[in-house]
Amino acid sequence: MKNRKARLLALTAAVIFSGSLTAEGVRSPSMLANTCAGCHGTMGASAGDLMPIIGGMEKEFLQMILLEYKSGERDSTIMGRIAKGYSESELKAIASFMADQEWVSSPVKTDSKMVAIGKKIHDDQCKTCHEDNGRVQEDEAPRLAGQWPEYTMHYLEWCHSKGKRCAPRKMGKRVMKLSKEELKAMAEFYASEK
Amino acid sequence: MAMFTRRKFVKAAGACTALGALVSINACTANTPKRASGGGKGRVIVIGGGYGGAIAAKYVKLADADIDVTLIEKDKKYVSCPLSNEVLGGDRSIDSLTFGYDTLSDKRGINVVQDEIVAIDPDKHTVKGKSGKQYDYDKLIVSPGVDFRYEKIDGYNAEVAEKIPHAWKAGPQTVTLRKQLEAMKDGGVCYIAAPPNPFRCPPGPYERAAQIAHYFKMHKPKSKVIILDAKDKFSKQGLFMQGYKKFYGDMVEWVSGAGGGIIEAIDPNSRTLVGEVEEYKGDVVNLIPAQKAGKIAQVAGLADDSGWCPVNQKTFESKLHKDIHVIGDACIAGKMPKSGYAANSQGKVCAAAIVAALNGQEPGEPSYVNTCYSIISPEWGISVAAVYQLVDGKIVGVKGAGGLSPMNASAATRAIEAKFARSWFKNIAADMFT
Repeated sequence: MKNRKARLLALTAAVIFSGSLTAEGVRSPSMLANTCAGCHGTMGASAGDLMPIIGGMEKEFLQMILLEYKSGERDSTIMGRIAKGYSESELKAIASFMADQEWVSSPVKTDSKMVAIGKKIHDDQCKTCHEDNGRVQEDEAPRLAGQWPEYTMHYLEWCHSKGKRCAPRKMGKRVMKLSKEELKAMAEFYASEK
Repeated sequence: MAMFTRRKFVKAAGACTALGALVSINACTANTPKRASGGGKGRVIVIGGGYGGAIAAKYVKLADADIDVTLIEKDKKYVSCPLSNEVLGGDRSIDSLTFGYDTLSDKRGINVVQDEIVAIDPDKHTVKGKSGKQYDYDKLIVSPGVDFRYEKIDGYNAEVAEKIPHAWKAGPQTVTLRKQLEAMKDGGVCYIAAPPNPFRCPPGPYERAAQIAHYFKMHKPKSKVIILDAKDKFSKQGLFMQGYKKFYGDMVEWVSGAGGGIIEAIDPNSRTLVGEVEEYKGDVVNLIPAQKAGKIAQVAGLADDSGWCPVNQKTFESKLHKDIHVIGDACIAGKMPKSGYAANSQGKVCAAAIVAALNGQEPGEPSYVNTCYSIISPEWGISVAAVYQLVDGKIVGVKGAGGLSPMNASAATRAIEAKFARSWFKNIAADMFT
């Protein structure tokens, strides 16, 4: 249980760290981030289906997304309402806390035929940014490998509907040309890469 | 039963109680709090393994593995109230809402004990179970949920509630109510008597009306659901009324308190609810009475005249008894509603405060959140959310944050919110029980 141990250590460290620092009004990273777990799972390791795994995602990416929710720049059903309840520095603290957690891939079983279709699309169009089958996180590319397929599909459909207005634009341009079945295949492919 | 192995029992009850036969009780209970017993930093007992208690137990242990944590729950399995209206609607089984405590015990290192706590001694720092066992604590967390004020409705009591269910604690009564709906003839009327504030799950009765109407629409289209309300307004009212109209037309009716919805008595034999002016004879009657903090909170003197438990809203420590914290539906938590997510959030704030105290530190600045989804139709979900902070000792919502799903949201958005509701449940359940 190496992963869990690492997560435990990280949390304990955060709690102890905050304990010695608690100035009036400053909320510790764990205090803030634990409020997310009711929807995103303990330490951001989502239990499914439409809630994305956020524990172990890259800090800069999470920061960017949370700040976009706060400003309203990014569409959402509920995250906009929630992100507005935290200051910019608090959102950054939440992003750092979640980034420090171990990524726990979804245990979902995938359909091998769909995975093969998705892999081909990935190899043709996506792998330059989403390296190592969606495992590498850099330059605003979030981790896709092991993500819950319902969430990946939800995001791809949203991006499909936005077309060229989906950020980044080059992704929107590609996603808008894919069919619903192809999008589904991609979600399956990334879910199969643990 | 793994729960009662000798090793676990000794850990659960504390060496003192286990040796009770050999050592005098006084020698045992005279110990002062904050002692470092058994090599640990202290003993935390949590009473009640629901949305508040299970979380508090887990998050104390997560934050500091050197604290002994014992979770005492009267039932072997827990049945979730959130999402239980889908059982009434027919889209969900009660099994999908039922959870055990094995993972908390095996993976999280929590001593899980099945017992019903019947007494708390705040001075001696002990609690006593129905089993006769006594358990010692340094810090006690009480998360007992709600109890019912049957006395407010003439003719209603716990026994009658087996036949005229409130189904406001998920479990056998949820199943009873579902069976009554199934047995009802088409063209029948189901009354839901909604309770006065404050009560567990403010949007719950209104989601229930929608779920029952969903079942009727599919199987008994000439039937009606009528909500008799003790109040003149309710949670997410605009969104519910919009959803009722869209999916169920005049199958759902709402009678406000001022409009005759306040119920004073019941005749269980004829299933007749007696209001201030009118009487309502139903084919199925779901009578949800007024509420108060769970029984152990009343017995232990943790509740005030309001029936609920006043706490320090930064730590959830009782204002009436030191070293006892009350979380969840039972406590008075400023602007937070009595909801599952609120209990989850309070459990974490309380856990952090206790971990700090047992480590000789001041409690940190708290942060709380609430999100409540309601499913009006399988692909039509709505939500309310709020983010909270502590201001002058009171929990208040952060201005400009939170709020309701917009009235003009698209059908696609409502469908996503219904999916989010079910995913929310998976995650909050995993947060509690894994």
